[in-house]
This record gives sequence, C-alpha cells and structure tokens, in this order.
Amino acid sequence: MFVLSFLARRLAQGAVIIFLVSLLIFTLLRVVPGDPVRLMAGGMAPEALIEQIATQMGLRDPIPVQFGRYMARVVQGDLGQSFVRPANGAATGGANFNDTTRGERAKVMDLILDALPMTLQLAALALVFALVFSSLLGIAAGLRPGGIADKLAFTVSSVFVSLPNFWLGIVLALLLSVKLGWLPAIGYGGFSYTVLPALVLAVELSPVLIRTLSGAVAAQMGESYVTVGQVRGLSPTRIVAAHALRNASVPLLNLLGVQFSSLLGGVIIVEYIFDYPGLGLLTINAVLQRDFPLIQGIAIVTSAIFVLINILVDLAATSIDPRLEY
Amino acid sequence: MSPVLSVRGLRIDLTLPGRERRILDDISFDVAPREIVGVVGASGAGKTVLSRAVVNWIAPPLTIGAGEVRFRDRNLLTLPPREMRRLRRDIAYVGANPMGALDPTLPVGRQIVEKIRAVMPEVTAAEAQDRVIALLDAVRIPSARARFHDYPSQFSGGMMQRALIVDAMISNPALLVADNVTQPLDVTVAAQVIRLMRELTEGFDTAILFVSSSLPVASEAASRILVIDEGRLVEEQPTEALISAPRHPYTRELVAQIPAIWSVRPTVPAVPREARRPDTAIVSLRDVSQTYRVRTRGSFAGTSELRAVRHVTFDIHKGDSFAVVGESGCGKSTLMRLLSRLERPTGGTVLCDGRDIARFSGAELLAFRRKLQLVLQDPFDSLPPRTGIGAMLEAPLRTHGWRDAGRIRDKVRDVMNDVGLPVSLYDQLPLGLSAGQRQRINVARAMVLDPEILLMDETLSALDQTEQFKLLALFDKLQRAHGLTYIYISHDLAMVRKACNRIAVMYLGEVVELADNERLFFDPGHPYTRTLLSAMPTLEKRRYRPEDCLLEGEPPSPIDLPTGCSFRSRCPQAFEDCVTLSPHLAVRGTRDLAACHLVTEPVTDSVAGAA
Repeated sequence: MFVLSFLARRLAQGAVIIFLVSLLIFTLLRVVPGDPVRLMAGGMAPEALIEQIATQMGLRDPIPVQFGRYMARVVQGDLGQSFVRPANGAATGGANFNDTTRGERAKVMDLILDALPMTLQLAALALVFALVFSSLLGIAAGLRPGGIADKLAFTVSSVFVSLPNFWLGIVLALLLSVKLGWLPAIGYGGFSYTVLPALVLAVELSPVLIRTLSGAVAAQMGESYVTVGQVRGLSPTRIVAAHALRNASVPLLNLLGVQFSSLLGGVIIVEYIFDYPGLGLLTINAVLQRDFPLIQGIAIVTSAIFVLINILVDLAATSIDPRLEY
Repeated sequence: MSPVLSVRGLRIDLTLPGRERRILDDISFDVAPREIVGVVGASGAGKTVLSRAVVNWIAPPLTIGAGEVRFRDRNLLTLPPREMRRLRRDIAYVGANPMGALDPTLPVGRQIVEKIRAVMPEVTAAEAQDRVIALLDAVRIPSARARFHDYPSQFSGGMMQRALIVDAMISNPALLVADNVTQPLDVTVAAQVIRLMRELTEGFDTAILFVSSSLPVASEAASRILVIDEGRLVEEQPTEALISAPRHPYTRELVAQIPAIWSVRPTVPAVPREARRPDTAIVSLRDVSQTYRVRTRGSFAGTSELRAVRHVTFDIHKGDSFAVVGESGCGKSTLMRLLSRLERPTGGTVLCDGRDIARFSGAELLAFRRKLQLVLQDPFDSLPPRTGIGAMLEAPLRTHGWRDAGRIRDKVRDVMNDVGLPVSLYDQLPLGLSAGQRQRINVARAMVLDPEILLMDETLSALDQTEQFKLLALFDKLQRAHGLTYIYISHDLAMVRKACNRIAVMYLGEVVELADNERLFFDPGHPYTRTLLSAMPTLEKRRYRPEDCLLEGEPPSPIDLPTGCSFRSRCPQAFEDCVTLSPHLAVRGTRDLAACHLVTEPVTDSVAGAA
C-alpha cells in the first residue's frame, strides 16, 4: 500500500517535472538564433522557399500553438521526425534542398532508442567501476579516520577530481589503446569498446562517492548503536557489515540519484572523444544541426530517466531506512 | 555466598594530551548474586565510567590505570576480546540512551534475536524469536507479537527502554549493569521500569548494578548504595541506613539537597491577593486549542489531526509563578509556543492584558515580545558558540531599537550583575562555561529587555540540584526586584513545589487539574495528579503509592484520542461513564479545578469558564 501510494504520488510529480522541462527546452530552442529551415534546405535555397517550408512545417505559428501540437503527439508516444536525419543513414544536413537521394526523415524515437541502450550500457559500467573502487577505498577510510586508507582516499579523490575528463580520455586512449593495445578506443564494435569511456566516467564519479561513503561510514561508526552493539555481544564484523554499512548506504544512494545527472552530462563529452555512438554523441550532433525535434526528444527522455532513477533511489532508501518519507 | 562481581582498586585515567585527569581512583566493592546495588553521585563524578569499566568497555582516551574487575573470579579487564564476547551472555548492559542503542533501520525484535544468536549460538532463530516475544510480553509491551516487527523509531522512550531490558535479560545474565536507565523517561514510566527491574532480579536470578544520578531513584531500586564523589567511593551503606544516617559530608549534602515535597512548607512567592479578579489577569487563555495536520503514512494524501492542545482555559495574574506540568507529549511545549506567539492557536484566544496576541503585528508585536521573554531548556545549543557574551546580550536591545552603544553597554553590565554573571565575561565566548552559568546568560538575555513575563521552558531541567537551587534563588530575587510574572513549563514536580504558587496539570493536551500549590500536593483532585505525585522520586514517606495510582501502559497517541476521559486507559478508578463522557473541569473549593467524574461538586460552566 505504501509503495503504491508512493509510486502514484512520485510519478505524478515526475510528469509535471517532465512537462516543465519540455516547455523550457521547446521555448528556448525557438528563441535562440539560428534557423533550422536554412540548415535543412541548404545555404543556396531562396528566401521564399524557406518561408514556404517553414510555414508548412508550422514553424511560423506562435510558440504555444507549436508546443501544444508537439505535446499532443508526445503523449501518444510520437516524438516527431528529425529535421535533418534520413531514416536510412548517417547525418547529412547542409546538402542541396532538392537533393533526391534524401529519403524519408528519421523518427526521433528510433534515433533515441538506437542510442539509448549504448549510453545505458556505458553508464552502468561506469557506475560499477566507480562503486567498486569507491566502496573499497571509502569504507576502509571511514572505518579508520586518519589512517592510511583515509589519507590514500583523500589523495586519490583530490587527484581524480582535478583531472579533466577530456584530457584523461585522450591520455588513456593513447596509453591503453595506442601504446599497449589492450583496449579499443574509437567507435563501437563490441563490449570492449565500452570499457575505456566507462573508466574515464568512473574516475569523474569516484571522488564524491569516496568522500560521501567514508564520511557516512565514519559517522555511523560513531553512533551509539555501534559501541553499544559490542557491549551487547555482537562481533565487530557483524556490526560493520550488517548495521553500519546498511545505514551508511542511505546517503550514498541519495547521492547516486543526483550524480546520475552529472553522469549524463559527462557522457556527452566522453562519447564525443571516443566517438561512442550513444545519446551524448547524438545530442552534440543534434545541437550542431539545430535538429529541434531531436533535441526536444532527448531532453524529454533524459529528464524522464532522471525522474525515474530518483524515484527508484528514494524507494530503495525508504526500504532500507523506514524513517525516511518522501 | 561468593560475590558475582568484585571490583578491586580500580583506577581509570583520562589521557587526552593536555587534559590528563583521574576519573576513578581506588574503587573497590562487591555485588552478591541477586543483589541490586545502587551507585549515586553528581554528574561528572565518574559513575558512567564505572559502569562501563564493569562491562569492560573502556576505550581511549580512557585508560585503566590499575585494579581488577573480577566476574566469577576472572579479571575482565585482561580478557582477550573473543573471551570477553563469550562472557557478554552473562554480563548485560542497559544505557541511558534507549533511542540510540539499536540500529534504526531494522526491526527491534530482529535485533534482539541477532543478539541472542551472537551470544548463544546454540539457539535456533525460531526459538530465539519465540523467546523474544515471550519476554517482550513479560515486560508488558502491549501486543508483543506485532511489536516484534516494529522499528526503533516506532517505539516510545519507555517502550524502547523495556525492549532493551529484554535485550539484556534474554540471555539470562548473572549481572546487569543499568546506567541511568530511567534518566530519559517520564516519572510515571520510570517508576514502572524500576518496578520491572526489581521483578526481574527475582525471576532471573540476576544481580544489578544500578547507576543513577538521582539518590531517590537509586534508593527506590537498590538495597545497598555506593556514593561516588569525584572519582572516589566515599560511602557504602544499606539504603535505609544511608538515608537516615549518612556518614560522609558529601552524602549528607546529597541527602539534604533532595527536595522535600510534603515535609517542608516551601516559601512560594506571596501572590498579591487582591489581584485575583479575572479582569486583572496578565495572560489569559480562553478555550485555546492547537491542532496539527500530520500526513498519514501509507495513504495517498491522507492526513490525520494531531490535537496537541485542547480547550485550555486559565488566567495568570501579575506576580504569579504559574507552572504547567505534565509528561512528554502532553502538549506543554505546544502551549509554550502558543503563549509566546511562535504559533497562533487553531481555536480560542490567548490574551495578554486583555488583548488578543494573535492580532498583533509590527510595533505592537515587538512590544509584546519585549514584555514576554523566553528562557529555553538547553543551555548548550541555545547560545551561539562563536559570539561574545556581551554581544549576545546586546543583540536583543539592538533588535528593539537601542542605538547608543554606551547605554547598551551599561544596560548589559547592569543585567549581568543582576543575574550574577561576572562582568569580566563580557568579551569572552561561552565556551567552557558550566550549564548553570550558561543558563544565567539565557536569563540575562531575556532580562535585558526588562520584560514583565518570563516563560521558562524546562529551564532548570538540564541542571543538577545545586545549580537548580542557586537559579531558583536568583529567580526569586529577580521577581521581588522587578515584579516579574513567571510561567514555568516543567515535568519536575519537586521544582514546581518549591517555586510556583499555582499549577496546571496537563494530560494529552488538556488541563486536567488547576490548583494552588498546597492543595495540589496535599489534596489533588485528579487521579492523574495523584499518579504524578506517586511516581515522584523522593526520599520521604509517600502520600500515594504508585501501585494504587497507575495502571501499566503509556499515554495514548494524541492522533488517536480515546473517547470520553483521556486518562481512563491508565486510571485505576475508571468506570463506565469515563468511556463515554468527557469530564469537564469541576470546581473544588473556591478556585481549584479538576476534570474528573469523581470530583463531586456541581459543575457550573460560568465558573469553569472564568477560571
């Protein structure tokens, strides 16, 4: 019962958030300079033709009208068609307006559904790397504040947090792919292509996770139930494994919900560096090509994922600590 | 019979660099099987360290300097950790902080099962669960089987302390160390817990080392008492002998400080008798109620009403020392928030000099704030740690429009003199001041505005007896000098007996009795007042016996109020009418009131309303 009411309430809130994000993105895209029709039709197209196409596509209607028309389709699951991408191949754009080789334009939904699994795979792997690494270091640091692990954790976090991801990406590619030949770097041709970008993302995520985890574990170890637990006869291993870590995982979970957004941001740069065909690369190209429907679609899907992840994180947190209420 | 515990020449030192100090010195005593031995002393005397040493829980910066703690002829202090862990089955410990003692994210029952399985691996999980439920039932936790699956946050303080006693007793230990177990509990609940512990020594053959900062509480529980002063064992006698013939000067002082309730007539402030007409009231509450909406967990948008204060009506006259007493959750803190206009009531009006304070705004509100000042409970958190004491006391003046730095400084110095703070503290930070000194700063911060009413929300409850004495004397002096009116919000009847002339007793948001000091303590009209009096820790012969006055159990939730009289679930005198009819405040004598069907005088609404 609690779970159902929780989900109902949070999903309703989430729908409002997604609606607002869509409205914001839609409006902003239409007030920034740059005419997508000019890009679609090509630099040589006459002004009258551009106006004609734009009117046909409804781009000269007032923004609220355009938005209403767009949202009506979105709720039916139709995110529209890309302005520039053909259904059958790579991005073009900028070609001649009457280029007959261009076929049907691609559906935004299909483009996103092609790229999304790639990005989710990358994000999940990065999260696994980051969690394993941060847990080892963070828990060890939290159990003995001021000890060697704590100092190491501090040094590692400081170094990691100061490494720019584009630099690290290039250096790792140079080292692991070019020099050592262990891992492939550019494009995608199998699971091994995910490892290198995931490493870069994990390095970016780790410092905050390590700090949070070591802080949370240290705080829990100072709680009276830990000291009293020993007097009650529980073994130290049991106190740490069954109680302290359980409690310390709540702040970590909450952090993960927030960190996810920075992960999606980090993905854009990292995917671009490694030419990894995920959502990030799709976003960059869409922006460069003023592909309004694609940008909007990505924004809506991303915010939906963000909302869902946070609902899941909060649900997990409440099931660990029943005192929490969201 | 050979003692179950014998401590010999125990010395414990604090070894913080720069703060080396001896905590305990040359402590030796025995505890026989099935005996309850009390340990009393002032805060900081080393009682808690002693209780921890007995369960081998001395961790840096504390170190054991010398001595032994022998349990069944083995010195615990030199046992390796594994051996010690095995002994936890026979040596149990219950501390003063029941709410922090268990992992907040796991059900209570499961954690007690975990403990059994840790100290008695031969017990199966199912068996352990049965034992826990049986014992939870034995310590009178209602519906123990359902409570087994509840989380620590769903237990009240008293329930949790019972659960922890179950946790300690579940392995049938030979020795239980109880460190200030009743300290966080309300008096009525504490009385029940002490009774429970006495029963358990008989049922389980357990000896108890009962550590308490209150001599009356310890004497209630223990047959023999050790007195510790500044780390030394200064006296050891059977309880009766210790109280009737204390030998050591410190013990004599301790016994003398225990407030007398019935044997001594206190010098309560003389109230101007002529100022007793309703129209001279400085503060009046007229049918005041406060209801909060709280979200119901597990429903979509459901809220329930938490009725924190219900239909409270009384007058406070100029020069009164008025007390609002009751246990935690009775609504006295909400009442404080209403009186100080931190909140506006959802029903009724609070009048100050005949004007509704809910309507004040702007300059009027500021004037009201100057007139009524608050002194809070916690002497530590209520002072900003990085502000000079002088600056702290200047702040209210600046808020109320004082601009001349010289005059402000003079005023602050005057007030510091008034409350007994050395003026040399002016430029210092409050760090390192005692609780008593800090409370003086709080009083000064209120007095600096020359208020007419001081609202004391548990102001003295964080202080020990000696400090309380001094501050009460100060309050008395200030009242005489400035014609102040005091409103004390308190759970401490002994303090109220000494300091207040008129007392309102609250239970579940209602005022159940309103009476003058003498009448309330000698002829209480409401069964709940009798309950409170019976549960008071005192060394005197009791006028009321707890066994006659209170049924087992805890106050119901203010979200789910019982029908009829709200006290009926714990009242030994409840009868059919109490289930359906809610009693009105009935007049007893000239001006005392009690809300009980057993008060026989006729009820007249007009008088009840004007009280």
